[in-house]
Amino acid sequence: MSTEFQRLPAEAIYQKEIDALIAAEKDPVPSGWSMSPRSVLKYIVGGNVDGLEITPKYLGHDRLVEIAIATLLTDRSLLLIGEPGTAKSWLSEHLTAAINGDSTKVIQGTAGTTEEHIRYSWNYAMLIAQGPSPEAMLKSPIYRAMESGTIARFEEISRCASEVQDALISILSEKRISVPELSYELPAKKGFAVIATANTRDKGVNEMSAALKRRFNIVVLPSPADIATEIDIVKTRVAQLAGSLELQAQLPGDELVEKVVTIFRELRNGVTLDGKQKLKPTSGVLSTAEAISLLANSMALAGGFGTGEITDYDLAAALQGAVVKDEDKDSVAFKEYLENILKKRGEKWRGLYKECKELNK
Amino acid sequence: MSEPVLFGVRHLSPAGSWHLLELLNRVQPEIVLVEGPSDLTDQLSHICAQETKPPIAIMAYSETVPIRTILYPFAVYSPEYQAIKWAHDNGRKCRFIDLPSSVFLAIQEQRALQEQRAALENARTADAVSDEAADTAEESMQRDAEPDSTVGQLSPSQHIAEVTGEDSQETFWERHFEHNLYAESYLLGAAAYGSQLRGVTNNEPLDEAENILREAYMKHEIEKAIQQGIAPDKIVVVTGAYHVDGLRSVNALTEEEIASLPKLPSQTTLMPYSYYRLSSRSGYGAGNKAPAYYELLWNNLQEGKPEHTAYAYMAELARYQRKAGHMVSAASVIEAVRLSQALASMKGFSVPSLRDLRDSAVTCIGHGNFSEIALAVADTEIGTKLGSLPEGVSRTSIQADFYRLLKDLKLEKYRTTVAQTLELDLRENMRVKSEKAAFLDLSRSFFLHRLQVLGISFAKIQHTNQDKATWAEHWNMVWSVEAEIELVESALRGETVELAAAFALKERIDECSTIDEAAAIIEAACLCGMPASVKLAVSALQRLAVDAVSIKEIAQTVHSLSAVIRYGNIRRLDYSPLVPIVQQLFLRACLIMADHCNCDNKAAGAVIDAIAILNEASLNHDFTDGERWIALLAELSDRDDINTKVSGFAAAILLERGMISNEQLAIEVERRLSKGIPADLGAAWFEGLALKNKYALIARLSLWEKLSQYLDTLDREEFKRALVFLRRSFSSFTAKERSDIAENLAEVWGLNAQQVDDMLNRATTDQELELIEALEEFDFDDI
Repeated sequence: MSTEFQRLPAEAIYQKEIDALIAAEKDPVPSGWSMSPRSVLKYIVGGNVDGLEITPKYLGHDRLVEIAIATLLTDRSLLLIGEPGTAKSWLSEHLTAAINGDSTKVIQGTAGTTEEHIRYSWNYAMLIAQGPSPEAMLKSPIYRAMESGTIARFEEISRCASEVQDALISILSEKRISVPELSYELPAKKGFAVIATANTRDKGVNEMSAALKRRFNIVVLPSPADIATEIDIVKTRVAQLAGSLELQAQLPGDELVEKVVTIFRELRNGVTLDGKQKLKPTSGVLSTAEAISLLANSMALAGGFGTGEITDYDLAAALQGAVVKDEDKDSVAFKEYLENILKKRGEKWRGLYKECKELNK
Repeated sequence: MSEPVLFGVRHLSPAGSWHLLELLNRVQPEIVLVEGPSDLTDQLSHICAQETKPPIAIMAYSETVPIRTILYPFAVYSPEYQAIKWAHDNGRKCRFIDLPSSVFLAIQEQRALQEQRAALENARTADAVSDEAADTAEESMQRDAEPDSTVGQLSPSQHIAEVTGEDSQETFWERHFEHNLYAESYLLGAAAYGSQLRGVTNNEPLDEAENILREAYMKHEIEKAIQQGIAPDKIVVVTGAYHVDGLRSVNALTEEEIASLPKLPSQTTLMPYSYYRLSSRSGYGAGNKAPAYYELLWNNLQEGKPEHTAYAYMAELARYQRKAGHMVSAASVIEAVRLSQALASMKGFSVPSLRDLRDSAVTCIGHGNFSEIALAVADTEIGTKLGSLPEGVSRTSIQADFYRLLKDLKLEKYRTTVAQTLELDLRENMRVKSEKAAFLDLSRSFFLHRLQVLGISFAKIQHTNQDKATWAEHWNMVWSVEAEIELVESALRGETVELAAAFALKERIDECSTIDEAAAIIEAACLCGMPASVKLAVSALQRLAVDAVSIKEIAQTVHSLSAVIRYGNIRRLDYSPLVPIVQQLFLRACLIMADHCNCDNKAAGAVIDAIAILNEASLNHDFTDGERWIALLAELSDRDDINTKVSGFAAAILLERGMISNEQLAIEVERRLSKGIPADLGAAWFEGLALKNKYALIARLSLWEKLSQYLDTLDREEFKRALVFLRRSFSSFTAKERSDIAENLAEVWGLNAQQVDDMLNRATTDQELELIEALEEFDFDDI
């Protein structure tokens, strides 16, 4: 495998697993799919096939993956919604890699995406020279997916302007694209579907119309279900990042990661881990991804300017930046959290509490 | 020789009912024997009465205290209920064959005693007693549940879920049994299931012994039926699947053995039940989490089409959503059904399970959010159905408990239709010997307050005006038929008055949405003497307090909780759970106070009240963060950009608490009352300062010197404006205080007391009247 690229598509990285699953297939395979729904599930949540370990790609919410696969099975399109950093694109990429062996039919939605990106456009030189012809046509990923009966991905759909989103409505309900220039209508082959992803909490997103929403089955991806899973994810990713960024600091210890994840989870969910006390959540996005970058940042700071080990002081400063985004509201909420919760957590937390309190005078 | 048909069921299983009816129609037995306390057989006729509408429960309870109960709820789809009805409709005999309720209750009593002993050894705190009462009640519900002890780390039900790749054993059961209409499949499958379950369960020895005893007794009853000349193959036994194996292998009890069983005198009755109760009391057998859904399934099973349940479920859910004003298109309903079928097919089944249906509804109708359809799901799965019984059939344990308590607390004479007054003195009565007698009035108060919580109109408290008399209560007592009815209705909430009151409080806690309400519930729970409920309400309050933003609300809640903590000792309860919540509210108040002080004079009144309350709390409870409070007051007192009246009041408190010295006060007065500061601001500050410790102010001559100097600096117009505010400041002083102030000022101006007195008491001169009238023309700028 060549390594000159920063990142390979999922189906290239996990080629072996996909091949093994296809080879071991026993269940009926839906038309247009390369493996049965059960194998897709196994590819995503992990398992074992003929002695080959399948690595889990998405942890903690098997049922949501089942719902996502069942949705695609009914020819419906799938909309994955979630806060930033909840592995929406990750899941969508792996679903298409398993189902079609091809995760590259992607539209990357932006404010500049036009209707042509969704349907088709023309090679104008050829259009002028020869007039409209199939050869002069530039097909969008969705067009190609309909032709081949596969799944197209639509990333960040809510970043496109509403009018552009609307272009999808009739495609999804009628499963046809008409090409008036060629007096032709392209019917979608069996197996065609769209997996779209959208952010719920970010700037610069457009509300999706009810008509479009109705054409999707919506699966909301939550944050990791339990703290152990999240600690796991954070630790692995921080270690990977530290390796590739060559950070000159020690990896954060288990206790440190646990502290950060605990604080993030509690403020994110607005309730203490034991579920006994409700808290005021803060306005910042405290996703798993945020925790990872917070720790990586602290490592960079500690390595560059400190002792090479993350201290409570470093951590408090990083937390302050991550948690208190809106000075007035967040600061009150964070102070209350410090006094009501952290202060009473005992010896282990005393140092961090003191540093945080110092910053919140 | 032929054998009786042993039909193992899961209680509350629609498919069990369907297969059982099919079997009964085929076998045409002469007698149907049903698992259930044998002394309850005489209630069978009531169960089949025309007016009886399930859900109902058969119930037995002990006549002695503490009340022990056993309860067997029946829904329309319960196999037992259908078997009883079949026998009735076809004129066959029917009997309950399990241990008599008196034996059940005796066993329960002994086990509870044993547990109590163990609990004492563990030195559990006093407030756990109430929990335990709840536990025992819970246990009585669970007595018939399939044993759930552990095999290694996983319980059998978790193990089944693991092995079958389902999310829970419930789903496994539903897929394999409830949707399965192949002949004989249920009979054989359930028996095999029960027998396997027996194999993997490590019961507690006591549970195991009880099971064997029950099975031996049931065997005895079956053999009795055979001896009475009924052909074995004309007997159908309906029992939990778990017992089928046991019934085959166990030896029947002999008459002597039966005579030697322990007994506790008991009463039996039927009571109306509700789907809500059926679902909220988990632990009892199967299929209880979603009674309304199982009824849907039962209706469709009778048509032989379990797969239609999916349509009915989605249609019901959509109907509810639409009624609540949400748009649900028919297309979404169709997509939801399709998705549920796809989910089922991924597991290799054709009929969706409840979990499939709910997840599909969330995805297609709820736009991915369960919260959007939570109410509709509750309505479709649990429902609000209430059972009913013919009049006069019910004599429930809560009624028995009520009458026993009346006798115990010597309140019987008040049970008349003539209103009487009862005066209680909650303090310990030192003249009597037993503890019970010493606190008789306190126990009465707890009891009557619990009745109030239950809404039983027997006793009403009269609020007396002596607000300091925390130990006295006056009650108006009058009995009515309505009270009796309200009592029977309360049976649905719990078996005894205490349990029912705890349940009622819990319902209120679940519903309450403001911290005022939660504080009121805490108060009610304290009055009822129920620490467990207090704890629940405290956590509800904590939850709500997170969103409460009004300083007024917070202060009021602190006030009422503080009162409960300070005066609550009379009720002999432990108030420590209230401490952290008061701390939290206090902290919150400190953090947001400064923002609230940026207000007009009108709003300042409320803020000042809040400050006064919080200051009182900080003085009364040393667990509050006093340091923070003083720092906050100093900040409020120093800041120039907030309402000056509030600043003045903060200074007054600091003065009262000795945190400001004379010199500091003098400097502050000079700063606040200097020329250039608008008169209304300065005077408002003074007004705030004068709200507290007037004597201390009057005694400080330096203060009045400053005030005098200030007045000297004002020109005529300014003076007129300041006059209005200063007059208002002094309006709260008494005549005596005002004359003291006048004397103070006189001293500053070099006059003696005699002259002041003359000045104040002589009649107003014409010249002065003119001046006052002239003021009416003055433009006060809406002050």
